[in-house]
Amino acid sequence: MVNNSVNTIKSVNEGLKKGEFSVEEIVADYQARIKKENPKLNAYLSIFDSPKLETRNYKLETSLLAGVPCAVKDNILISDEKCTAASKILEKYVAPYDATAIARLKQAGAPFLGKTNLDEFAMGATGEHSAFGPTLNPHDTSRVSGGSSAGSGAAVAADLAVYALGSDTGGSIREPASFCGVVGLKPTHGLVSRHGLIAMASSLDQIGPITKTVEDAAIVLNNIAGHDPMDSTSVPVSRELPDYTANLNKSIAGLKVAVPKEFFSEGLDNQVNNLAQAAIAKLESLGAHIDQVSLPMIEYAVAVYYIIVPSEVSANLARYDGIKYGLSSNKKSSSLLDVYLDSRAEGLGPEVKRRIMLGTYALSAGYYDAYYLKAQKVRVLIKNDFDKIFAKYDVVVGPTVPYPAPKLGELDDPLAAYLADVYTCPINLAGLPAISIPCGFADVEDKKLPVGFQIIAKHFDEAKLLQVAYNLEQALK
Amino acid sequence: MSKITQKDVERIAGLARIRFGDKEKEKMAAEIGAILGYIDKLKEVDTDGVEPISNITGMENVMRKDEPTKNQLAEQAAEAAKLIEMAPDNKDNFVKVKAVFGE
Repeated sequence: MVNNSVNTIKSVNEGLKKGEFSVEEIVADYQARIKKENPKLNAYLSIFDSPKLETRNYKLETSLLAGVPCAVKDNILISDEKCTAASKILEKYVAPYDATAIARLKQAGAPFLGKTNLDEFAMGATGEHSAFGPTLNPHDTSRVSGGSSAGSGAAVAADLAVYALGSDTGGSIREPASFCGVVGLKPTHGLVSRHGLIAMASSLDQIGPITKTVEDAAIVLNNIAGHDPMDSTSVPVSRELPDYTANLNKSIAGLKVAVPKEFFSEGLDNQVNNLAQAAIAKLESLGAHIDQVSLPMIEYAVAVYYIIVPSEVSANLARYDGIKYGLSSNKKSSSLLDVYLDSRAEGLGPEVKRRIMLGTYALSAGYYDAYYLKAQKVRVLIKNDFDKIFAKYDVVVGPTVPYPAPKLGELDDPLAAYLADVYTCPINLAGLPAISIPCGFADVEDKKLPVGFQIIAKHFDEAKLLQVAYNLEQALK
Repeated sequence: MSKITQKDVERIAGLARIRFGDKEKEKMAAEIGAILGYIDKLKEVDTDGVEPISNITGMENVMRKDEPTKNQLAEQAAEAAKLIEMAPDNKDNFVKVKAVFGE
């Protein structure tokens, strides 16, 4: 089900410019493919009948995204379209406005094919926590596609979209990219506006692209990055943002690459280890200088993450109360309190409830200092660890996830599932940008399962991040 | 610290405004207990003198003047109508809720 005749943003733009096909034709082509393949994968939750081509006057010369069909994770608002966050409580919710990232893509002339599946409210590492069924991995449909941007990862891998938007709170763009064999970029926290992204954990959430190539990721980032007054954590950039495609080709000879030994500790799959080591050797052969380093506080990242995230979740999801929007359990005899209790009981899934409960506990009187405050302090120590490394090195590298895509149901235990984030969530805690690119395949039960390689850079150094990723991607071809 | 009883679950569920059945409560107690057991490893870390931060890029209290722009006024009126329409129950351009005070 994986389509190897890759349609990239670049190639579709070329085709449109040369007149090989029209926008209407390429969109219709994707719609037909989705109709045929989506029932096997459940990558899309909603498919748009006639993707509105907002900007009839799109300019193929100036906008690479004009007319290039795109998929959007169903926790990012597109005005007048349903946005469910894969939750029953928002099953009928229709977005009243565009997310800033969407408004910017519309301005660039992007047609949207539909909204993609996710773990409910983006909470999960496998895509199995969707209220509307899991997304299956195009490389092996007995396996998960990775979460939480499950549908975006699968849609891009199966070429049911040229590219997609996802969101990443603790690995939700990079994990599906790793499991599905595509490129996933999580920008620096604050580079891309969160306005119109359904909030999960606001101090960590970030929108980013899932694409087939590093160059495509840079192209999408060029279009969605930048300050937005509608998001108070969006960082005002005094100078103009760089063109993220400009330096991709530049040699990485002499660049300093740090390899934390903690990314290669117990629990790492043998084949994933070998592929990551091979990618590091490749970087060395390209002239990069490789050193082993230590990030001792990384060991505590998952523990910190699963205090901070549930705490923010418990506050952010208080708005789903059966009154303002979404599902409402409203029996004649019930009181206002009953409406709250029953709407949330019926409308929210088990993982969402688990996190709300954990967060409510961590923030409750008597426990705040021991859990939330402690976690915030250890978060600072994790950030300090990275700061020390980035004072000397350009990028940090390692595997994205410790193993290839697990089978459906394999990560049923909540704590086991949380540990899937072990290499990805520290990056969100430190607010850093990171990318996952394919570095080869693991042989598992007669199937070839993709494996991702993660590259991490300092705050707002996406240009260097993409340069290293591009060089490695080309060398691994 | 990480032993979670059914009573704890009931207290938290009340705060979180979620109704749980007895079976669910039991499951929730076991799962939350296991997760908190793992999180207890944070106790090992010496955090004396560490100042907690809440925004990782170092921004604090981003403010703006409480003045709508002209554009916003028109847009907001249209959006407000959409938002009220979105409420499960509404009447006369208001969101309708159950009685807040007893009879």
